[in-house]
Amino acid sequence: MANANGGAYSYSLTVFSPSGKLVQIEHALAAVAQGTTSLGIKASNGIVIATEKKASSILVDDSMLDKVAVVCPNIGIVYSGMGPDFRVLIGKARKSAQAYWKMYGEYPPTRVLTQELAAVMQQATQSGGVRPYGVSLLVAGWDITRGPTLHQVDPSGSFWAWKASAIGKNMVNAKTFLEKRYNDDISLEDAIHTALLTLKEGFEGQMTEKTIEIGIITVPSAGELEEEKPGERPKPTFRKLSEEEVRDYLAL
Amino acid sequence: MEYNGGSVVAMVGKDCVAIACDLRLGNQALGVSSNFPKIFPITDRIYLGMSGLATDLETLRERFRFRVNMYTIKEEREIEPQTFAHLVSSTLYEHRFGPYFIEPVIAGLSKTPSGDLKPFIAAADLIGCLNFAKDFVVSGTASAKIYGLAEALWEPDLEPEDLFETISQTLMNAVDRDAFSGWGCLVHVLTKDKVITRTLKSRMD
Amino acid sequence: MNTLAEQFSTTSALSKLKKTQALLEDEEMSDAMWGSQAGFGNVAQGSPSFAVPAVPDPSAFLRLHTDDRADPNCKIKIQHGTTTLAFRYQGGVIVAVDSRATAGSYVASGTVKKVIEINPYLLGTMAGGAADCQYWETYLGMHCRLHELRNRERISVSAASKYLSNLVYSYKGMGLSMGTMICGWDKTGPAIFYVDSDGTRLKGDLFSVGSGSTFAYGVLDQGYHWDMTDEDAQELGRRSIYAAGHRDAFSGNTCNLYHVKEDGWRFIGNYDLSKLHYDGPNNVPGAGYGYDIRIAGRASALQPAVAAAA
Repeated sequence: MANANGGAYSYSLTVFSPSGKLVQIEHALAAVAQGTTSLGIKASNGIVIATEKKASSILVDDSMLDKVAVVCPNIGIVYSGMGPDFRVLIGKARKSAQAYWKMYGEYPPTRVLTQELAAVMQQATQSGGVRPYGVSLLVAGWDITRGPTLHQVDPSGSFWAWKASAIGKNMVNAKTFLEKRYNDDISLEDAIHTALLTLKEGFEGQMTEKTIEIGIITVPSAGELEEEKPGERPKPTFRKLSEEEVRDYLAL
Repeated sequence: MEYNGGSVVAMVGKDCVAIACDLRLGNQALGVSSNFPKIFPITDRIYLGMSGLATDLETLRERFRFRVNMYTIKEEREIEPQTFAHLVSSTLYEHRFGPYFIEPVIAGLSKTPSGDLKPFIAAADLIGCLNFAKDFVVSGTASAKIYGLAEALWEPDLEPEDLFETISQTLMNAVDRDAFSGWGCLVHVLTKDKVITRTLKSRMD
Repeated sequence: MNTLAEQFSTTSALSKLKKTQALLEDEEMSDAMWGSQAGFGNVAQGSPSFAVPAVPDPSAFLRLHTDDRADPNCKIKIQHGTTTLAFRYQGGVIVAVDSRATAGSYVASGTVKKVIEINPYLLGTMAGGAADCQYWETYLGMHCRLHELRNRERISVSAASKYLSNLVYSYKGMGLSMGTMICGWDKTGPAIFYVDSDGTRLKGDLFSVGSGSTFAYGVLDQGYHWDMTDEDAQELGRRSIYAAGHRDAFSGNTCNLYHVKEDGWRFIGNYDLSKLHYDGPNNVPGAGYGYDIRIAGRASALQPAVAAAA
């Protein structure tokens, strides 16, 4: 049934094909597979998420291009697929994190936020007049109960926790590469280098601080946690690396 | 607040907390029941006390039960006292312009990052303004009188049995000076390994 | 209330007040203020006088600012919660009262004397404004004594109560608040008159006044007989006050019990209601009036849930 035009089950309303497939979702996954590669690796003391970003022309001012987004002080997301869809989802994720903060006085655990995003994406697969989101997400976060966790969310709304994963154009190769390189007690520094090496595999053109984006989760020490007082702004555990930092990592 | 009467108080001790309430349910001046507890367990180590309008107390109790159950299922973890206090506050403020006539008091033991248990108390007004006190919190028709006694009797780092004596004396003597509270008292002391629950014999007038 | 006729009349309490006030304004200190005659100093000049608000219509002014059933938000609050009772029977009169004074929800005192001993043969009970009752019943006592001196015989309960009734009536509308029972023994035998600040005066066998009166009536009515023994009568008074103290938020603390007989009144005792609840009048643990004390261990369904859990 999944022929060139998608057959009779590919328009407007997402409906099951007789063979039990949702063709619209498969198309959305195809859109993700066309997007630039992103990956995430969970290390023993943190997480790295990284992506390649490509401007369509050298004339584009790439300082505005953002593929790694901060949701709240403890959660960051990277995507592969359609940029505009991602921005909508980030908007919803940030709102959801703030709503959670308003209700409970703390930011959501990674899993709760991931669930929330997955629910939004799932809704787009069974609502009338909408299409599924054309993105896959890698959600990296830290929380007190589960520590650092890395989740992937797909257009269908399904999500998994990963030790390391890749999405987008080179995901198959990248995953194979990660499987070979990964071990359980890898440090964050090593993970960042592995991330860059993995991206390098299928990279077209020059890898520079302008074409690479990195975000990291750092696990706070027990001492840092004890210092934190209720009601105070929590110290961020997620941050994006500056261009200088990326340049330094690339130079090594 | 004076329609049904009733009072609640919570105090911090050394590695323990206590929360106590009276048992009166009134219809204005008329005493109706002498077995109307105003404190409910939320988790194994969070107790919530509420004073004010009895019908709202029952409604809120069910509302918090619902919200806490949803939280535990969704997040696959027990809610922390801190977080619960914020949940209470949010729930009350949702009704800013038609409030529940309830002043909640929360007592619990919260987990520290190192895994220890730390005493926690909080109170809020009827639209959810939180008060994280370090010594004691009060609510209800006898609140002013409880403040007076607590201010005189409480001291830092009381052991569970001494804290029990302090909160009992505070509440009992305060409600004896309040027309709308009394008719028996109920005290819970939360320690790391157990909860001590006792009913107190008090004046019945 | 303050009609034109009243302003020019010479006999109304109001005009008297205005005149005395005018007199008082001339002097810095009146005789009364020296306290030389026990606070009733200007009786010598005819009738007691009071400082009255310096406004054209003091009565209306007072009504606006003094506690009144019509206006619960007024500025001056007067103690209202109380339970008092008195009944007449074969053996005389029983007078029983509680001892709680409240200011709003605050229990201001638990040791108030709500029976006013007017003289050895007359008792007055106190409900409503404490000061009003205390002042006017003491004042009544003074006049009862003057009556004795003038007529060489004791005043009847009827006459005494009527004197008080007429007195408070002259101040009607100015915020006086009293609900009292004048009890005593005279030529006619035991007598009770109910007098209140509205001017009502009623003769009867059995009265209860105050916020807890309904509860007291409940016990009183079902236990009352003319032919009761003295012990039973005293117990009924005590038990009635206990019931009111238990159920009514504004009554309680202790019960003061008096018995009036042919030879005058006698103070029977002061009973802590908490002791009555748990141990009863004879201080026997478990023999209290309290419902849960009486059924303790006998009705399994009525065990307090929390106690059972502990």
